[in-house]
Amino acid sequence: MRFAPPNPLRIADRASGLNAPTVRSYNERLVLSLLLQNMGISRLEIGEKTGLSAQTVSVIVRSLEQEGLVSKGEAQRGRVGPPTIPLSLNPKGAFSVGVSFGESAVNVALIDFVGSVQYHAAHPYPVLQESPDGLAASIEQGLLTLPPASRARVAGIGLAVPDDAHVSQHVRELLGRDLADVQAGIERKLDLSVYIQNDITAAAGGESLFGSARSLSDFLFFYLGSQLHSRLILNYQIHSGKAGLGHNVGLSRLRDELDVHRLSLDDIGLGIQSGEVEALYARWRRDCCRQIAGSVQSLLSFVSFKSVVISSYAPTKVGQNLIADLQDELPEVDFLLGCNSTAPKAVGAASLPYHSRFMVQ
Amino acid sequence: MRSVLCFGDSNTHGQIPGRGPLERYDRHTRWPGVLQGELGPAWYVIEEGLSGRTTVHDDPIEGAHKNGRTYLRPCVQSHTVLDLVIIMLGTNDLKVRFNKPASEVAMGIGCLIYDLRELAPGPGGSVPEIMIVTPPPILDDVKEWKSIFAGATEKSRQLALEFEIMADSLGVHFFNAGTVCQCDEADGFHLNADAHRALGMALAQEIEAIGWPALERKG
Repeated sequence: MRFAPPNPLRIADRASGLNAPTVRSYNERLVLSLLLQNMGISRLEIGEKTGLSAQTVSVIVRSLEQEGLVSKGEAQRGRVGPPTIPLSLNPKGAFSVGVSFGESAVNVALIDFVGSVQYHAAHPYPVLQESPDGLAASIEQGLLTLPPASRARVAGIGLAVPDDAHVSQHVRELLGRDLADVQAGIERKLDLSVYIQNDITAAAGGESLFGSARSLSDFLFFYLGSQLHSRLILNYQIHSGKAGLGHNVGLSRLRDELDVHRLSLDDIGLGIQSGEVEALYARWRRDCCRQIAGSVQSLLSFVSFKSVVISSYAPTKVGQNLIADLQDELPEVDFLLGCNSTAPKAVGAASLPYHSRFMVQ
Repeated sequence: MRSVLCFGDSNTHGQIPGRGPLERYDRHTRWPGVLQGELGPAWYVIEEGLSGRTTVHDDPIEGAHKNGRTYLRPCVQSHTVLDLVIIMLGTNDLKVRFNKPASEVAMGIGCLIYDLRELAPGPGGSVPEIMIVTPPPILDDVKEWKSIFAGATEKSRQLALEFEIMADSLGVHFFNAGTVCQCDEADGFHLNADAHRALGMALAQEIEAIGWPALERKG
């Protein structure tokens, strides 16, 4: 037995790329997670942070390189001795599609392995409902934007589904009663695994994996959509409170108020508003800020966290103003604007297949 | 100071392509010498190259002493403590007289890795870092070695994959020399000065990439 032929396990995986539902070892996931948080670290640093032996790190990194998930950077000179080589995730190593269900449209986002949005489309519900395989077809449309060679590198599909309390008639008609049916239907049509999660939780997960909260183990997360929702992340675990709890200080209120003046969210900050509009925007900011600051303060008496991430698809200006207000209000806490401003829930949903296949929690 | 043992055949010995076994590049030209220059004084590079060395076979023509396995033990014990052992062998195993497929040459390398683990010549009786290096493929034209290396060219192209499978399976470092250099046309299986240089430079990077904790300063 001692000199039996070696086990060709890792090598055999290479030919099949991502298609095979490979169960990755815990150590491989650990290395990938580490690379996601620290692009450009060396094998030495991987060894130090994981406690894995140099030989084990070597084998894992080599295997991930062969599979195209990890790439070598330019050798870094400038020290004594030969240069060190930084390692990074290969952005083109994997792709993933996420779908979220907004008030008026379904958002489909395709992201690469480092979370950059490669494709985004919003499909209004009536349009989707006209075509027979509406949802699957809209996902496929996104997949077809990938070059053929990259299509085999799609890790899966994520669906960010709203709580029952927030499901509009449109969503109910599109998804039907049974999510398992939807999941099975898309898996059958597109031959990819489908992962489902609550939409706010998915958005928080996306910020945690790729966004502003990349290196944070503990933070409070707010999703400023039509309404304001929150999640608490402690030790990388996402906690949600009472199901469906949302605050009516979100963008739908602001939108409604602007609508009266025939203005939209995009007009904010352009400096052409009347005093009346300025006043309503200021009022909305104050209410929203008060709601968030109140939540932060009351929560701080139970758990300790230093950072608050606010994620929104609102125009950047709106987000920045709100962050500035909050920072003034509570200078001891760090307020960060989410990175995923293009369809944050859909991008969060797209991170689900990565979480499931490549990452450790 | 750290020590690295470079255990190989004529291409570690520095035999000049197209010449006899006594004609050898000088120390600075041979890849272990290039490696020493790149790694600097923090490393002690030990050359152990023998022309005709196989992984685990006594050579019925060139002699039993060409067997890498029987020599590895005293060699490693002579040079302990070793932080790293680099093994670059396999070309000679492809001679017709041994009649071995590439996969079995890799198994020969596997035996050497097992022996190294048993010997544990690393610091404090540990297993040192082990790196196996696949020699570059043999060229189509091997001149007067044609009959000795009949069929070897094709097999030599399979070595990298077989060695890598072995390295992955046994959890050791791996490098394919064929990615940075090739054999010289003078005889089709020896490395010229440029190839030695390219290999030494590349291995220095590979060694650095292994990741070594900082050395404790003495005194």
